[in-house]
Amino acid sequence: MLKDVTLGQFFPGNSFLHKADPRIKLVVLVVYMVFVLLAQNALSLALVLGVTLALAFISRIRFSVVMRSLKPVIFILMFTGLINLFFTTGETPLVEWWIFKIYPEGILTAIFMMIRLVCLVAGSSLLLSYTTSPLALTDAIESLFGPLRKIGVPVHEFAMMMTIALRFIPTLIEETDKIISAQKARGADFEDGGLLKKAKALIPVLIPLFVSAFRRADELAEAMECRCYRGGEGRTKLKVMKSRGVDYLFLLLMIGLCVAVPFINHYLSFTLGVFAL
Amino acid sequence: MSFIDIKNLTFFYEGSDLPVLNDVNLSFEKGSYTAVLGHNGSGKSTLAKLICGILQPSAGKITVAGLPTDDEESLWKLREKCGMIFQNPDNQLVAGVVEEDVAFAPENLGYKREVIRKRVDEALATVSMTEYAHHATSKLSGGQKQRIAIAGVLAMGPDCIIFDEATAMLDPTGRREIIAAMKKLNREKNITVITITHYMAEAIEADRVVVLDHGRILMDGTPREIFSEVEALKSVSLSVPQVTDLLHLLTKDGHPFPQGVLHTMEAAEELEKVLPKNTFVATAKEQKLREEKPAALEVKNVSVVYGEGTPFRKEALKDISVAFPKGEVIGIIGHTGSGKSTLATLLNGLRNPTSGEILLDGKNIRENPKEMRKIRSRVGLVFQYPEYQLFEETVRKDIAYGPGNMNLSEDEITRRVEDAARFCGLSEGDLRRSPFELSGGQKRRAAIAGVIAMEPEVLVLDEPAAGLDPKGREEIFDGLMAYKDRLGATLLLISHSMEEVAKYADRILVLNRGQVYLYGTVEEVFGQAEKLFDASLDLPQITKLFIELKKRSLCAETDVYTIGYAKKQLERMLEC
Repeated sequence: MLKDVTLGQFFPGNSFLHKADPRIKLVVLVVYMVFVLLAQNALSLALVLGVTLALAFISRIRFSVVMRSLKPVIFILMFTGLINLFFTTGETPLVEWWIFKIYPEGILTAIFMMIRLVCLVAGSSLLLSYTTSPLALTDAIESLFGPLRKIGVPVHEFAMMMTIALRFIPTLIEETDKIISAQKARGADFEDGGLLKKAKALIPVLIPLFVSAFRRADELAEAMECRCYRGGEGRTKLKVMKSRGVDYLFLLLMIGLCVAVPFINHYLSFTLGVFAL
Repeated sequence: MSFIDIKNLTFFYEGSDLPVLNDVNLSFEKGSYTAVLGHNGSGKSTLAKLICGILQPSAGKITVAGLPTDDEESLWKLREKCGMIFQNPDNQLVAGVVEEDVAFAPENLGYKREVIRKRVDEALATVSMTEYAHHATSKLSGGQKQRIAIAGVLAMGPDCIIFDEATAMLDPTGRREIIAAMKKLNREKNITVITITHYMAEAIEADRVVVLDHGRILMDGTPREIFSEVEALKSVSLSVPQVTDLLHLLTKDGHPFPQGVLHTMEAAEELEKVLPKNTFVATAKEQKLREEKPAALEVKNVSVVYGEGTPFRKEALKDISVAFPKGEVIGIIGHTGSGKSTLATLLNGLRNPTSGEILLDGKNIRENPKEMRKIRSRVGLVFQYPEYQLFEETVRKDIAYGPGNMNLSEDEITRRVEDAARFCGLSEGDLRRSPFELSGGQKRRAAIAGVIAMEPEVLVLDEPAAGLDPKGREEIFDGLMAYKDRLGATLLLISHSMEEVAKYADRILVLNRGQVYLYGTVEEVFGQAEKLFDASLDLPQITKLFIELKKRSLCAETDVYTIGYAKKQLERMLEC
């Protein structure tokens, strides 16, 4: 049952996004977020939507999979939409009912807000979690935050912890499954009863799981020492991250888009103003 | 000076005044291949950790390649020279991808990328795992994981590798893989191999065997010398290969044979010298009378399919039908992936069959889903390594967990806990202790007691003695047999050991690729040697000896599965 849970949503592939240097992808992601948040009006948002669709296209990940990334945020999406719909005021209300007034501006803001959120979530999934293996991501974080080591931040240790956590997730899931089965075979009941009873029923699963996790940690530490691990000092890497010219081009393009957005915002509001006149 | 030099080594664990190792003097030459034998708790794993400098001696001195283990500076150099493979394959792999794990040590040593690449590729090639370089470590089999661990150590370029019970958690296939790898490393790469084990099959491959007992060296010699001392080995709860034992027993009863014979062929040759040819007597067979017993549990047309509708679709069981007669011991054998474990979880309703039904006393166990917990107390299931399910403050409370879920009176629970503890050889004092303070073998027995206390009428056990030393194994089986006899229970015993099945089972079920391959009495199943070999399964060594004797026309029958019966047969043949 627990085995069905997929952790880390990496979809191996061979697209441009998959091959790009993860460090640059991280930076691109930051720029992309600014880009999305800066977009203010129809034209700039259309651009944001276009860029996100382009990302989805070059990643060669199926569209349905991209849509699935929105599932966890559906509630926030609806909530933001409704808040904006009801609480944005304008000049003439379109509909009036009891204390609610809906203005055309409200509808527009709600739609804008939702597009922004959808692009933010889908775009970061495409740039990072779908196309970057967890290990590459860890390496990228270690490398990007490396300078922080000078002020005493244990960057390497955090990265190593992440690597080990990722390595042990499948092992611990399997173990949890086994312990649940073993306790069920001894008559444990995880389904019936109220919340308190259910929580209590978990004790026979959690204690063995913790005991085993600590034992594993101990043994792993010994094994790592035996393989001459003594921290990040002087450590080299089998896989060196390499950034190609196209990666930088990709970053430049994203920065360019980001810079262009305020102009588009301004230009379009101006033409709209002329149109309104 | 030897490659590894151990002088007057004594070691105490913190807070204990009983030495784990007591004034040990030992040395290992470069390029040697040594097996260190000892029962659980003899101090053999501690010795390994001391050599690698994970632990520091309480007294005495250890040097490896001239480097002392107690010097912080040279310790890292020492670890580079002397690697270690641990018991649990899961707890020594660091990275999620094979080649990145193998690269871990050379990365730590700060080698250049090209050097790391070369070492990783060479190490993977040595253990024949090159094609798995980009696989996820979590998806590999136990034997493959251990081979990756070996590659990870090889990538450091060590002179010596210590295997600390590295095969204990593996199935027979995995064990063979690792033994082959050890031999290859020693013979072809001239690496000093020290293997710490209680598997005799592993020890006879070595050039030298050291036997430890209670922290002291008891014996030291070639495998032949060591295995000649059958009595001494048995007295420290170790066992010997079946043919060695057989020839020893015959010698003891006045038929002298050379001692320390380790292999089937060798034993057959020795017997050929003295047995008269073609004059075998037809012996009156001890025909066990077998009445037809009603089935305790019946599996009817059961199929199990995993991942239906996905590319990973797998048929774990294909339309199997078997009946398990009441009060018998049924051994279930088959290699990993044959469907044994799936079958076990079906029998108490932990898993649903995709089709077909399971009848307990003639009634479908899924008839009333609300009764499922009752079914689980009637069909007890002991998983592999059950000690990992212990969780209570005391052993007593832990054993009481199962019966406590059955709506029984306090008195009844207490009675059952005490009975179960007795069957499993746990004392009153043990019951008061925390399960986490117990030794490995005791933990295992406490966990089994936790299932027995529910007093199930059918007890399914998945390798109940895996990883224990010979004495620990025997204690567990004795308890289980006592339980079976007292309550008239049916025992289903999943096992990889043919010797074990031959000794305890009445019937054998052989599964192969999710189907019933053979099912019958021990005689019926072991009588079909060829078919077993086809399914890459083995026979007890003693049976193989008799097949060899028949080939040399020295005897007529090959239905010999236990040492006691073999000895009787041979004596009869020798005396006429």
